[in-house]
Amino acid sequence: MSHPHEIPNQDHGLIGKRIPLIDAFRKAAGQAIYTDDIQLPGQLVGKILRSPHPHAKILSIDTSRAESIPGVHAVVTGKEATNHFGVLPVSQDETALAVDKVLFIGDNVAAVAAESEEIALKALGAIQVEYEPLQAFLKMEDSLEQVPEELRLHPKTVDGTNIHKQVEQEFGDFDEAYEKALWKKRQTFRFIGVTHAFTEPMCTIAHFDADERLTLWSATQVPHYLHRALAKVMEMPMHKIRVIRPTVGGGFGGKSDPFPHEMVAALLSRKCRRPVKILFDREEVFYSNHGRHPSKIEVALAIDANKKISGLHVDALIDGGAWGSFGVVTTYYNGVLANGPYRLPNFRYRGRRVYSNKPPCGAMRGHGAVNTRYAYEILLDEAAHDLGIDPAAFRRDNVLPPNTKTINELRITTSGIGECIDRAVEASGWKEKYGKLPFGHGIGIAGGFYISGSALPIHWDKIPQSTVHLKVDLDGGVTIHSLAAEIGQGSDTMLAQIVADVLGLPIHFCRVFSEDTDTAPIDLGSYSSRVTFMAGNAARKAAENLRHLLIQAAADLTGYPAEVFVLRNERVVNCTMPEIQVPYLEAVRRAMKDCGALQTSGCYQAPPMGGKFKGAAAGLSPTYSFQAFVVELSVDLQTGKPKLHDVWAAHDCGKALNPLAVEGQIEGSIHMGLGQVLCEEFAYNKGNVLNPNFLDYRTLSPMEMPRVHPILVETCDPEGPFGAKECGEGPLLPILPAVSNALFDAIGVRFYELPITADRIWRALKRKKKEEAKSLV
Amino acid sequence: MRLPEFQLHHPTNLEDLKDLTRKLQASGDCFDFIAGGTDVLPNYKNRLNPKTQVISLSKVQGLDRISPTCLGAMARVRDLVDHEDLARVFPGLVEAASLVASPILRNLATVGGNLLLDTRCYYFNQSEFWRASKGYCLKADGDACLVVPQKEICYATYSGDLAPLFLVLDAEFELHGPKGIRKVPAREFYQFDGIRRFVKNPDEILAFIHIPESAQNLRTGYRKLRARDTIEYPVMGVAMGLMTKKGKIEQLEIALTGSEAVPLWYGDLGFGGEPVGEDTAEGIQKALLERVKTYKNVPFPPGYRRSMAGEFVKELFLKLA
Repeated sequence: MSHPHEIPNQDHGLIGKRIPLIDAFRKAAGQAIYTDDIQLPGQLVGKILRSPHPHAKILSIDTSRAESIPGVHAVVTGKEATNHFGVLPVSQDETALAVDKVLFIGDNVAAVAAESEEIALKALGAIQVEYEPLQAFLKMEDSLEQVPEELRLHPKTVDGTNIHKQVEQEFGDFDEAYEKALWKKRQTFRFIGVTHAFTEPMCTIAHFDADERLTLWSATQVPHYLHRALAKVMEMPMHKIRVIRPTVGGGFGGKSDPFPHEMVAALLSRKCRRPVKILFDREEVFYSNHGRHPSKIEVALAIDANKKISGLHVDALIDGGAWGSFGVVTTYYNGVLANGPYRLPNFRYRGRRVYSNKPPCGAMRGHGAVNTRYAYEILLDEAAHDLGIDPAAFRRDNVLPPNTKTINELRITTSGIGECIDRAVEASGWKEKYGKLPFGHGIGIAGGFYISGSALPIHWDKIPQSTVHLKVDLDGGVTIHSLAAEIGQGSDTMLAQIVADVLGLPIHFCRVFSEDTDTAPIDLGSYSSRVTFMAGNAARKAAENLRHLLIQAAADLTGYPAEVFVLRNERVVNCTMPEIQVPYLEAVRRAMKDCGALQTSGCYQAPPMGGKFKGAAAGLSPTYSFQAFVVELSVDLQTGKPKLHDVWAAHDCGKALNPLAVEGQIEGSIHMGLGQVLCEEFAYNKGNVLNPNFLDYRTLSPMEMPRVHPILVETCDPEGPFGAKECGEGPLLPILPAVSNALFDAIGVRFYELPITADRIWRALKRKKKEEAKSLV
Repeated sequence: MRLPEFQLHHPTNLEDLKDLTRKLQASGDCFDFIAGGTDVLPNYKNRLNPKTQVISLSKVQGLDRISPTCLGAMARVRDLVDHEDLARVFPGLVEAASLVASPILRNLATVGGNLLLDTRCYYFNQSEFWRASKGYCLKADGDACLVVPQKEICYATYSGDLAPLFLVLDAEFELHGPKGIRKVPAREFYQFDGIRRFVKNPDEILAFIHIPESAQNLRTGYRKLRARDTIEYPVMGVAMGLMTKKGKIEQLEIALTGSEAVPLWYGDLGFGGEPVGEDTAEGIQKALLERVKTYKNVPFPPGYRRSMAGEFVKELFLKLA
């Protein structure tokens, strides 16, 4: 039997309560400090000279004229810092500035620090660069060819091509399954790139100070990886570097790499010994990109005589742009993450990521899983349609059971996929609508699943993936130190909520310091939907350790055994004799008697799991979220314009620690996913980004948002903090195919290419009309 | 992104404005006028033909009146949307105004600014860096069009929502300049190509838009194609004015925006006197499609935009008939 104080403080606590994010009022009042709000004494403006060529050798750079301009304090070029970096240890292929070659229009060539933006821009104009243009690789297929060394974008590629990473995996026997299938289809899907479109552009300030210590303020999701990369590029020990993450205005994966501009600011500051700020224009954010890879994905699906999924083959060719970034992981995820939420006995995958002369691609919300998920869910829908089965029932009949292993050895613990489908179907009135709505009006369903943090960290250090420190002093306030980056997703609130709940305190007792590598214990950062699960678990353990100290203090003060005490309502209460209570502050004082301020720590490390084969670590997670979404829409038959009416979004988040925040994540994911499926296009014209601004790069406006009905499915994961799993990325996955499947229900057309813009729908309608007329003749 | 340096002038009446214009001309300074700034300033940030002197019209008195026969060029687009008399007489005009950009932009944007909106093109509305890397275009700093490769004509797309309505209503534009006041029919005001755009001289301002009372006999409508339902220029916009008598077309006026480098008036396309009905609607659609040209320089494929002109003209005709 567990001790009474192990019983979650559910009745009086904060878990499961709708709590506004703790930084919301500060942000709404304009009091949150973003990096660009910071102005240090003597601060200079940093600007980067960018390449006008997609692929070229740098023959020479003459900075002398720029250096002689009054007000210019430093000019740097690539040769001054040649150490390579990158977010993954296996893809260290970036430098602060281009050294010998430029790899895309917008690539970083040189940089200046000056007293004003005007002077900095003038100085950029005075830098003379001599280029020798090289053949540019702009189509993915071109990068598959073997080419002479000078045409390879990086020294390390596959077999003399511009392929960055190639992955091949087979589990079971796909060919046999395909051969014996009752229903089968092979289809190629095409996806244009999309980008994160966060509100706050990149901004960084570097200060190499009089003590020869480097402090870097930056809008980043990964202060720790940035810390490492800075140490490598600047050739400084980590303890001489401090990274501070001020308020971040959105990331979505687009701020989850260490970036060249961060290195550049540091180099400039070291050179002139003054603080240097680099703030990007929106156009520069597009050159930084790291968005979703443009992809060509061939999928073959087999359904057996029992109408069960019997085999899936995925062949993904993805365009990585100029650098590696998270690309090795992306390459795996495009296949590996097709192994749920349905049972899959035979799976074959080939993934190829190519380098090309375009801004780099990287991690973006739903990283690596989104495009293959679209393709898979469309084919599932086609199979159900052809076999005359309701597509919701077909999916329901194929779900992965909980507590199982996929064929590629992903460890599935809790799964609410069945409940997700049932509840989305029920709430949407699916059975009355599917196949029964008038022409032009349709309903569609799709499922999904996603990791709750990568079980294996990027770096193979034997340290916890998340650590949280707590400190309590005489005032009773609980200071939470963590390096999990609050990027608008609510991680600070989550930490405060968990700690306050464990300690039986109102949330205002907690203050979260998650900004500073000098004070926070390492956390790997905000990516891969890991923070609630990992940092949340660490915070819970740290709080439980603190609770133990307070209970001991109460036991000392009252003479009752520690086992009978619980913390609630700012008191340490004897739960067998509730009249015996010690006020929280008294317990704190007593606990401090011999040691001063109280400090505790908690950490999280994922348990060992996964297979022994090459690439087995990819996709492993301590638990997975599951989703099923139903979309109802109509199409304007005159213009082809789709109108989304309702989305019933069922998401298994384990336990909704804060339903308000979970719903926010679901709504945000839907908004972002709808952008990709309906209107967003990272478009190029011969190496130039055609639409590097928010007028021409179209995210979904509020006018197009449907009514969203979030349905929270709670499976209470035994390993999650209070049962919680992720909710920030998974809910993006099903919205794309659900829209497409609803379009099929509406107009009888399948779409194998994104985005599904009005003109494409209009053309499809026209084609369909023609074909129907022909078949009548 | 920063604005280039310029000197901003704030005349408060038309006389001072005239004097200022003369003075700047005499000293050889190039200048632009600025009204709401929602078009000029983004272009300045992109270094698209910026001038060193800018004359703001925002404090010039008397240019913001609104009535069914006269609109001041400095009337805000939002004030058109809210104007009950106008909504009653010219619902098409008010509809077009309500579809301009977004509520916040409509608060700033002026009727005159919308009529004089600069043309738009993927190869023009870009930063200095972008245009340098691509090779500059004919309209700014270059010598060849990047849409239709040749060196004579700019094919950028005109994207104002209000102009086609004033073409339909046969409005007159009153221009004020150092040499005096002149009136130009809207139908003669716009002049092809994307650089020249109109007959207004650089030292003239558009002060008033006069609408003949006879225009009030027309039933008006406007249909706009745009990628999203807010903050979008028209990539095809069709305006129509229609008067019918005994089931026949008495007067039909059709004008387009978002197709070519200027808004275009097509009159009745030869359908005056034709009976109102589906056949005529299809005839008008066909006749218009034969004349509409679109280029690949704004969102949506040119063929689709062209087809939508046909769809919209048919829809409007049937709706207004």
